[in-house]
Amino acid sequence: MADIVGVNGQRENFRVVGKPNLPGKLSYALATGIAKFGIDYVLPNMLHAKFLRSPYANALIKKMDITKALALPGVVDIVTWEDEDIKRLGQNPFGPPSRPYLDNWAEQEGAEVGCIVVAEDEDICEEALRLLDIEWEVLGHVVDTLKGREPGAPTAHMVEAAPDPFSKPPEKPKQGNVSYAVTTQGDIEKGFAEADHIIEYQLKLPAFASHMPNPPSSVAWWEDNPYHGEGPDLHIEGAVQRRENVGRMYGVSNEKTVQEGLFQGGKYCDWGMRKSQEITPLLARRTGRPVRCAYTREETFDFLMNERFMYLKVGFTKDGLVTAIDDFSIADNGVYGSSSFGTAGDQGYGPYYTFKCPNIRQQMDIVDTNRGKMYVSGQHCPFNWDSGTMAIYLISEKLGMDPIDVALINVHGPASQEDNTITPSLLACIEEGKKFVNWNWHKAGERKLEDGRMHGASFRYQMCPRHAFSGYDCKLELKNGVVHMPTQGPCTGIFAVECNAMVVAEELGLEYADVAIDFDYRETFTPVGGGSDGTTASSWAMKECANILKQKILESAVNKANNPAPPSMFMFGQPKENPLKGHTADELDMINGMVCLKADPSVGLPLREATSENIFATFSGRPPTSLWTMGMGKMLDTMNTAYCEVAVDTETGEVEILRFDAVADPGKVMRPTSLESQIDQVLFFSQGCQLLEEYVYDEKTGVRLNNNMIDYKKPTTLDVPVIGKKFLETRAGNAAYGANGISHSLANTHAIIIAIHNAIGVWVDPPATPDKILKALGKA
Amino acid sequence: MTEAKDMTFTLETAHAKVSEMIGAIPTALTEYRCPLCGKIFGCYADLKQHYAVEHVGAIPPVTVVLTLNGKSCEVLIEPHWTLKRTLQFRLGLTGAKHMCDKGVCGSCTVIMDGRAVLSCQMLAIECEGKEIQTVEGIAADPKWKPLVDAYCRWDAMQCGYCTPGFLVSAKNLLDKNPNPTVDEINEALSGNICICGTYPRHAQAIREAVEKMSEGAVTNG
Ligand code: FES
Ligand code: FES
Repeated sequence: MADIVGVNGQRENFRVVGKPNLPGKLSYALATGIAKFGIDYVLPNMLHAKFLRSPYANALIKKMDITKALALPGVVDIVTWEDEDIKRLGQNPFGPPSRPYLDNWAEQEGAEVGCIVVAEDEDICEEALRLLDIEWEVLGHVVDTLKGREPGAPTAHMVEAAPDPFSKPPEKPKQGNVSYAVTTQGDIEKGFAEADHIIEYQLKLPAFASHMPNPPSSVAWWEDNPYHGEGPDLHIEGAVQRRENVGRMYGVSNEKTVQEGLFQGGKYCDWGMRKSQEITPLLARRTGRPVRCAYTREETFDFLMNERFMYLKVGFTKDGLVTAIDDFSIADNGVYGSSSFGTAGDQGYGPYYTFKCPNIRQQMDIVDTNRGKMYVSGQHCPFNWDSGTMAIYLISEKLGMDPIDVALINVHGPASQEDNTITPSLLACIEEGKKFVNWNWHKAGERKLEDGRMHGASFRYQMCPRHAFSGYDCKLELKNGVVHMPTQGPCTGIFAVECNAMVVAEELGLEYADVAIDFDYRETFTPVGGGSDGTTASSWAMKECANILKQKILESAVNKANNPAPPSMFMFGQPKENPLKGHTADELDMINGMVCLKADPSVGLPLREATSENIFATFSGRPPTSLWTMGMGKMLDTMNTAYCEVAVDTETGEVEILRFDAVADPGKVMRPTSLESQIDQVLFFSQGCQLLEEYVYDEKTGVRLNNNMIDYKKPTTLDVPVIGKKFLETRAGNAAYGANGISHSLANTHAIIIAIHNAIGVWVDPPATPDKILKALGKA
Repeated sequence: MTEAKDMTFTLETAHAKVSEMIGAIPTALTEYRCPLCGKIFGCYADLKQHYAVEHVGAIPPVTVVLTLNGKSCEVLIEPHWTLKRTLQFRLGLTGAKHMCDKGVCGSCTVIMDGRAVLSCQMLAIECEGKEIQTVEGIAADPKWKPLVDAYCRWDAMQCGYCTPGFLVSAKNLLDKNPNPTVDEINEALSGNICICGTYPRHAQAIREAVEKMSEGAVTNG
């Protein structure tokens, strides 16, 4: 597909779109420290709040006496789970009661439970929490997913979560901590019967921390504002893009829920709200003062990806064509309320989309635990599980074939799973990629570098997933000769607003800096759809809007030219002849900030002079659905490829990533600087989870031992390799100008792990730390 | 609160804004607020007296004079407060960010007497008499405009939360080594963690700034 429906979708000459190094509209505020995030707000007379956190991995509060805590100087309020106002919080008055916002059950060590202390400062909150008299009932816990699956394991969840509306009903009833999910297509028995070879392998996908850079925090206060009608406005900072939801929790209309801050920090698709971002309005209402609730880093160690153990059996022919895949996994369901996006919600939405193989079974045992929570999440989304990439690698090892050739035999074509052609985008990426990295495949353990280290390489391809589920309500306004793009904040780091402004500038013949962005929380336009959707699909809608505005501007210019204002006593000299006079809107264009004649662009007027009207244009909609979305991965448009090379020191177990390259086709490069950044980021995430990052629990107490950035390691500037990038533009996407974006489709769990195997011939589970490598080599 | 208005920044408007923020910091205390009960006093002696009567046994706050971005600022803090906390809660400067609060991530970096230090690990009382420069001070100094500009032109930020810390480390590097190689840059920034993974962007930005600054030096000289 391409952008054949939208205006100028086939545009050939670009002045602004695709230009690098155009600064973000908020970047100067970020770089200089002006930008305020939720945690940064300080208000006069502000109070601070802290939740009680459980020292146990699974426990109930039987009794709690707050008398001593309440008597501590500086303590202003203590809210307990038995207070009526918190009991009502977040409950749908018309629906069945859901789990209370705060109760007496702690589902993991560190869970918010029982009460919230409000005091003059955070130290006093902490001291008051220590003065609480609490009688706990400590329950058995599960922090080892595999043990939690065993019969007789302690019950991890005291309360059953409501069924996930996005998952299909389970095949068989839950037993103990385990729920079951099965998805089957085709006939796997038949598929295995057709196979010449069968391989079996295991993958461990480690849990991986979400680690929002800015610990989630908010400050709220209530203030009268007669402009917004009866009752006080709720003003909250730090509610990120969930201002309206927080307002709803407190029965406050969107109009009266104010959030002016523009900076929400890193989200990485972790859109779940933390309690610190929702509770402050209640506390501010109770105390009559602004209240701040800030989490610490230790309190911000949720999962971006749940732990999963995968066991795979793959049948294939002597040519390398996969005939059957039997995929069984045991997945951590996390604590109560974890997103099913990491478990059953993913099935049928998995890593084998692009395979021709029609016979696939995915079975999953989903184990309730007390390990941690995964909020709505997806930086490592299901198509990045890499079990398919592993299959391709193992087939190549078995048959002595280049994995790129194995991939090309197995990947289906653009039209359907039965399409035997190869998607042009993939072919183009591979052709460029081989040259770019000087691809030279070898079998495992066969290449030694001059310095004695072993060399390994891996190849991975992926589709560029495009969501296009989100519609956008766009508005543009010409005001006093300047084009304004009203936009709702706050913004995350995807530079989607900027990409939209570039498209507006492109279509209206302006420069990027000429487009004024008016941030206003009351606006509706907010380019934040999933992944690249926020940039590519929103800019498609904005492109349409820009062209509606353009038409109106041209008509207004014609009107002004043909119906000049009557002479006024304040005008001196002869009125100037309007060069647009006598022309129709169809004969005009907007070029270089001028409204001019199409036939002779040197004849025209600056925009500000061509019309003196204030003009609005609106457009609501979304681009036509992408092929990927229509086919749920069985139809392919734009693709990407990645190549990784490592050196493994077999004496020390150290791994160095020699190079990591991405050759990707985002359809059309819209904003190159941020597109490059997106690849830097996925490699950073992928490298972290494959080489460094891991949650460690104390089995006996259920306590997580490395909730801090000292013990939970993220890569640094010294760890990340140079990342080679090359972009192709097939214009085959459905969004603006045929763009698709790449979203986080290059995120991977095993590209480095496979390259390590290719170097040393043995498997090491991620994170592949030196000790594990030496152990795998039999040296430790 | 009208922060959202006029929030698209240019190099010049950001420069003006940080200069204004620094200018607005009061140099001397005019009121003394009890951190335990919120009562306000007109002088320190009255606050101490209040402690002696109403909060017997509690340690009263202290006054500290910080030399910040070239300006003397008197603050009332509790003795255990870190510099990071003081900057945010007493001086309204939030460019030094709380990411790890453990001295690991570099997001709270400031320059003190010519050395990059982690403000989450320094007690404010230790900082008296030392020259402290925060990211706001660097951004308010016209000399560093090319660095700020290069950071923004190269998207050496995604969410931007860690960015001020990186910028301070970068400035500290350039103070000592005005023409660093990419390897030297990566070495100097290795104490700063960016969870958005922007690492490769920083060297690009810093190298561009170095070139622009040296061109500027030639032109100006
Ligand atoms: S917050 Fe100070 S080093 Fe991380
Ligand atoms: S830009 Fe987000 S943490 Fe660095």
